[in-house]
Amino acid sequence: MTIKLIRDHGQHYRPRMACLKKVEALVIEMQDPKSGVKSFEQKRNATSIPHVIAGQDITAWITSHMTVDAQEAQALGTMLVAYGFIYPLQDPKTLILRPDGSLYRCQTPYFWPAQKWKAQDTDYAIYLAKRNIRKKGILDQYEQERYRKLHKWLNHKWDFIVNQAKEQTRAGKARMKSDRVVFSYQERAYWIVHRPPPQTHSAMDYGVDRLIDPNAEEVKGEAYTLIWCRVPSVLLIVLLSCSSSLVKHTMTYQSHDPFLTPCLPSNPWQTDDDTYWALNMPDVDLPTKMTVERWSYGFYELLRDPRGRADFRLFLKKEFSGENLAFWEAAEELKWGAASAISEKAETIFKTFLAPGAPCWINIDGRTMGLTVKGLQHPHRHVLDAAQNHIFMLMKKDTFYRYLKSPVYKDIQKKAISPAPHNFTDAQLEQNARNRKPGLYPSVTWQRQQKEKVRTTTLIDIKKLMANKLDRQ
Amino acid sequence: MGKEECKTMLDALNKVTACYRHLVSALGSTSDSQNLREELKKTRKKAQELAVANRTKLTALLKDKTISNDDRAEYERLWVLFTSSMEILEVDMKRSLEIGQDFPLKVPTRHFIQTGMTGSTTTVASRAMSVQNMKYEADANIDLTDLRDLEAEIAQVDQMMEDMEMKVQVAPWAVEAKQEAGAELRSTASIGNSSVGVISLCEEETKERGSWTDGEAGLMRVFAGIIFTVVLLIAGILGYLIINL
Repeated sequence: MTIKLIRDHGQHYRPRMACLKKVEALVIEMQDPKSGVKSFEQKRNATSIPHVIAGQDITAWITSHMTVDAQEAQALGTMLVAYGFIYPLQDPKTLILRPDGSLYRCQTPYFWPAQKWKAQDTDYAIYLAKRNIRKKGILDQYEQERYRKLHKWLNHKWDFIVNQAKEQTRAGKARMKSDRVVFSYQERAYWIVHRPPPQTHSAMDYGVDRLIDPNAEEVKGEAYTLIWCRVPSVLLIVLLSCSSSLVKHTMTYQSHDPFLTPCLPSNPWQTDDDTYWALNMPDVDLPTKMTVERWSYGFYELLRDPRGRADFRLFLKKEFSGENLAFWEAAEELKWGAASAISEKAETIFKTFLAPGAPCWINIDGRTMGLTVKGLQHPHRHVLDAAQNHIFMLMKKDTFYRYLKSPVYKDIQKKAISPAPHNFTDAQLEQNARNRKPGLYPSVTWQRQQKEKVRTTTLIDIKKLMANKLDRQ
Repeated sequence: MGKEECKTMLDALNKVTACYRHLVSALGSTSDSQNLREELKKTRKKAQELAVANRTKLTALLKDKTISNDDRAEYERLWVLFTSSMEILEVDMKRSLEIGQDFPLKVPTRHFIQTGMTGSTTTVASRAMSVQNMKYEADANIDLTDLRDLEAEIAQVDQMMEDMEMKVQVAPWAVEAKQEAGAELRSTASIGNSSVGVISLCEEETKERGSWTDGEAGLMRVFAGIIFTVVLLIAGILGYLIINL
């Protein structure tokens, strides 16, 4: 019985891979002795192994056979290599098709990728054990790590894995020497595709498994056709009316989308360098130019970014009108906080912001004030919603535009850093991968935020208190 | 004793599974042929026989309530070995069915994949069947009839695995392996020495295996030392004679 993974959310099905059958047909056509790719022999240490094909021959054949241009033939050829139907002999870890004289060979059908047959961990463990025997204990760094992990997870099967590895090595020794060499190449190519080493991009890396079986036929009832097939016409009308605002939204946010524009300085997931995250921390001193630009897109963007909110708070402190933002933040806390703390928070908010003669009295119209005060007698989560919305619109229509024209904002715009994009070489990338450290724990950042919040709110309170007392006198 | 028999039979099953995997990986490639299909059929039959024998033995041993805890742990370990072998055999059989259907032998234009493998797999098959030479006696229609048989056999194996899971209550995660990481490196000396048709000895304890290879290496050293001293003596005697004569 194979033990499935612990975090089993029921996702056992691989996605549809309809392209594999089509690629198989293409590979079989390549084998035709008359109209296929011409193969020759590879000379290796006094043995010669047949059926080797050159990269340029493959691209030429695809160009003529499928009548496409050279660039597309190159892309198709790379797809063949990335799926594992053809494997490179000279640089096995880079799965691309080089259109020069580099040598490739076809993979045996047992090792072809298929949707039904997932590459199992047990088989990978047997392969690593065999490789251990062959290399006499000197495995690559990533292979050693995986070996240790597999030894921990598959410990109950480890006897079987060791025995099978030894038996398979002995069975392999019973074959001809050239066949043994070819088999070892084939197996290595299979595992490079299905368990790619770092920096290798294999096409079988499809992400997470699916929840429902994509090969199962979907049964749709009559209600589905009655209701859901009428919807498209309604949707079309709605879409047409929203399209202009959608276009405007996408144009403004296009440069901020990491899918469409590469993020500066470099994507940490690809280059293992976390400067991007360090520059976007909530308590950073100097934000990036992209962040500062984003604040000007809308008031909610400014409030959403913690660094932007801190900057806005600084501006309001200079204008002595920090109570609006403080009230908004307190109302947010009430809305999203624990239910047990609601009545307590409501009390403090009333005393600090709403009571006549309060230290940070907010200026809202009489009707809203009346409703809120009445609601606060029986406080619930959304009792401050009306007041909060009023304050939000006030800040948005008035204070936000003054902020955008203020010296505080212009100052931070000038000081903001625009990081240069990184250009790492392969050696530097490997160095980065080795120097990966665990980042800050979220609990640490949370504690820092709490401390910061306590510091700023007490400051405002005391200052407001003093200012108000002076005004009245 | 029951344990020894079990272990020998499990080792034989292990060997046949490994050879079957080698044979299936050659299907559809240039080293495929009628002989290969026959070899696959024979290896499969042998694997089935061994599997049934193992299953009856192990279920009988595990159903016995009077065995000690240590014995029970040992039998559970053997059971995990058996089920893992069977899983691999089942997957290989299903794959050989698919590949066999995709690459039939009796068509006017055979399009086997040019993988670079040109030799035959006779030696692997003879290792699996534990015979010196393989005899090929199948008729020309082997691939079609074989595939039908294969489907029936796969159904049988599925049924057997289901029965096994239902009848025997063994928790696989509770089994502790006897060999630690890197154990395969320790007996690499023996792998070079084994010949084609020899059934491998069962590996009971790693200490035992370790001492066996150390003993063997020590014996070699002693022999080398004796030969060296003999050569020195002869050289000394000759020198003495030459000087005196």
